[in-house]
Amino acid sequence: MSSEPIERRVSYLGDRLRGNRCLICGKEYFEIRDYCGKCGRKSYGKMVSTDLFYEKGKLEVCTLIDEPTNKFTKLGSYIYGTVSFHDGRIRVPGRLTDRSAIFGENIDFSALEDRDVVPRFRRRYSVDRSDVIPTISLAFTFADEYYPYQPYKTAKPKKEYDLPGIVGYGVYTSRFRIKEGSIERSVPFIDEDSITAAVEAGKLALIHSEVESCMVGKIYVGSESNPYAVKPIASKVAQVLKLGEEEEDVQGVDAVDTEFACKAATSMFKDAAALVNYPKSNIKYAMVIGADNSQAAPRDCPGGELDLFVGYGAAAFLFGKQDVIAEIEGWYSCTSDTPDFWRRDGEPHPMHGGRFTGDPAYFKHVRKSAKKLMERLNLKIEDVDYFVAHQPNVQFPVRMAKELGFKEEQYMPMLQVAKFGNTYSGAAPVGLAAVLDIAEPDKRILVASYGSGAGSDAYSLITTSQLLDKRQNQKLTVKYQACNPFLEYVDYTTYRRLKAGM
Amino acid sequence: MVSVGRTRFGEHYEKEPEKLIEEAWLKASIEGNLERRDLEACYLSDYFLPITNKLGLEEGFLSELTELHVPMEVTRSFSSALMNAANAIQAGRYDVVLVGGIEKMTDRWDKIRDDLMLLEDPWSYYAGCTPEANHELMLRAYIKKYGIAGDDLETLSLALAQVSVKNHIHGTKNEYAQYQRKITVEQVLSARKESRRPLGLYDYAPISDGAAILILTSEKAAKEYTDKPVYISGSSSATDYLTYPAREDMTHFLVTEVAMKNALKLSGRNLGDIPIVELYDQSTVMEMISLEDLGFCKRGTAWRIINESCQDYKGYYEINRKKLFVNMSGGLKADGNPLGATGGAQVFEVFKQLRCEAGERQVAKDGELKHGCVLELEGFGTKGYVYILGRE
Repeated sequence: MSSEPIERRVSYLGDRLRGNRCLICGKEYFEIRDYCGKCGRKSYGKMVSTDLFYEKGKLEVCTLIDEPTNKFTKLGSYIYGTVSFHDGRIRVPGRLTDRSAIFGENIDFSALEDRDVVPRFRRRYSVDRSDVIPTISLAFTFADEYYPYQPYKTAKPKKEYDLPGIVGYGVYTSRFRIKEGSIERSVPFIDEDSITAAVEAGKLALIHSEVESCMVGKIYVGSESNPYAVKPIASKVAQVLKLGEEEEDVQGVDAVDTEFACKAATSMFKDAAALVNYPKSNIKYAMVIGADNSQAAPRDCPGGELDLFVGYGAAAFLFGKQDVIAEIEGWYSCTSDTPDFWRRDGEPHPMHGGRFTGDPAYFKHVRKSAKKLMERLNLKIEDVDYFVAHQPNVQFPVRMAKELGFKEEQYMPMLQVAKFGNTYSGAAPVGLAAVLDIAEPDKRILVASYGSGAGSDAYSLITTSQLLDKRQNQKLTVKYQACNPFLEYVDYTTYRRLKAGM
Repeated sequence: MVSVGRTRFGEHYEKEPEKLIEEAWLKASIEGNLERRDLEACYLSDYFLPITNKLGLEEGFLSELTELHVPMEVTRSFSSALMNAANAIQAGRYDVVLVGGIEKMTDRWDKIRDDLMLLEDPWSYYAGCTPEANHELMLRAYIKKYGIAGDDLETLSLALAQVSVKNHIHGTKNEYAQYQRKITVEQVLSARKESRRPLGLYDYAPISDGAAILILTSEKAAKEYTDKPVYISGSSSATDYLTYPAREDMTHFLVTEVAMKNALKLSGRNLGDIPIVELYDQSTVMEMISLEDLGFCKRGTAWRIINESCQDYKGYYEINRKKLFVNMSGGLKADGNPLGATGGAQVFEVFKQLRCEAGERQVAKDGELKHGCVLELEGFGTKGYVYILGRE
């Protein structure tokens, strides 16, 4: 049983933790109230909207839930309690997420209480496969663990650039990993999916950019693991992150999902840049997110070879012409109808063409776009400071970089596949973010993505001095997430279970 | 009140809800020497029979059962049905009214906790709460507020176990109780250890089926049916937020405090006049908190009184050298907790005690007990009902 109107109302309030504050007495409510219960009619029109989405709370009291209600059974056992915000002026129920098991015979609840927590946007509970997926942000993680608290401060733009470019970015992967041989891969927690990853990355990009969310006029989300066959991820991102001007409960933003295997996101970089550059578009910023809970059949099934490489994560980039951290110098894209990787409608897992995915697919297209772009811009190998390529495994991008003539110091910083696995639409974008995390101003970055089916997008970016100014807004860097003391490693069975989700 | 009747609480999987209400009605009508045609109205309560048993319009099934076509209304708890009935009689509308409660929870065993939680508070449910978790949060909040640690914490934990043991002792003397066997402190503690939570299986009231009925009449009509009527000398109810964490103080129930104060005021009695109380121990924590909310114990001290009284339990709590008989029926813990009927069993107990008809459980001689008190809650302290009952 599901009720779409109820689901719409619950997620509208719960995803963002929306509320109201009375301007007369200061009382706060986690719900929409037209007037204050204490002040009565005189407070009508004096209630301001609030939300707790970017706030830090405190876990007040908690207990263990070992036998959840039916819809929560896939979470196993978890810590549940009350979380207060604003020095206790508002208190909400919540569960701790991102804990695969609660160990110990005697759990010391007092050791968990009074610690700072951050609200996390997650799936709410299990529903039938045909139902709307319920979400909520009444899930929390400790601020002193994997996911640190970062305030969202907006700032007036300081500088206008001639060329559009990246003004902020964010990368999100979960704190769970599977380690097999020398490769580690990120694994979503059971209440995560490509939708929650997209929202997380977008949130981090807004924080990093200092751009007001209402100024974002378009959002593209590229993914090949949208849990819906029909229904965009972008609409959820737009609503949770309040992109565009909000009027009543509708966001003044254009939102669309894109699909082209692993290049669904990179393909839209140029569209976002063109849009913010078009004088009459009235759009100052456009966001592009690549998000995937990368799919693979189980290891012993056809297509199961992918199961050794798939990861989980998302990267978001905000494009604009103000306070740019990396200007777009040019691009080149190429496409051919090459069926090296596909998933038929209704099938749960993709298939791929084995050896056919190499030379006639990946190498041919990446080589073409990278070379063509360098030709057009008249660039030599030594003019490029960093090379970023799509990374389905370690061998492909390294072989490609070497063949093009790049040296280790040019291509090693982007190589993240051994830490996160292949994050599909997020793979090249995560590599680009890793480079932006460390690059100095006035450096040239050559990005060449790849999407099966097949095509490649190459971009040349030049970093600006504002890259350094904004770096302090990025606590959740790629390196921080790759090498983190709070990472939790899971076995193969758990990995498959977590990936399947609630 | 002229007569009461009830079924045993527990699992009645072979019986239709109608059977249970019939059984309770027969007992109450025989005791009061009543005929169906005497009834001028019926107030029935069930918390969620439409969900558990797919029975809507419960009034209709009561009409079929009784062949009565009088006014009938349905509320969610026995206390609320009783409140409506009492108000109607007081207004002069009726002289003889049936107040009944019914619940059949075990028919929906597999989904009952989801239903309970979702009806208690949707936001807590969405956040992953269970029907048990709020009790444990309340205990955690209590421990924190009063800074209870070390040996005191051990004593508090022990006191809560003793509440359960005590209520099971009382249950052994109640032929209608769901559990008529003793348990030990060790059993309570080891169930907690197994659950790894602050409270365990033996701290909680069970899921039950059952029915209870009482016949309420006007003062004038009462004498036609009995020589020993029991009067409602004061009653009150109060309401609080649905979402427990959103309330200002998480260490007590405002509704109990408010309802008790108002009920006492209406009855013209004070706490000292009340030696017996049936309170709403959905968990052992609730019994402790209720003793404080009702005013019998100072805030933050009930656990000490429980512990001291239970070292060598004599059948009552000793508070300032006065005896307080609490949950002689076995409470919700041992007697059972079929939501819509629970309040009926609570009133049943005080009714029987005041009339000196409680058999083995009887705490005082005829005429010695003047007043008793009943506390019923709905949700997790969202609604509270208090009745002061007396022989005069």
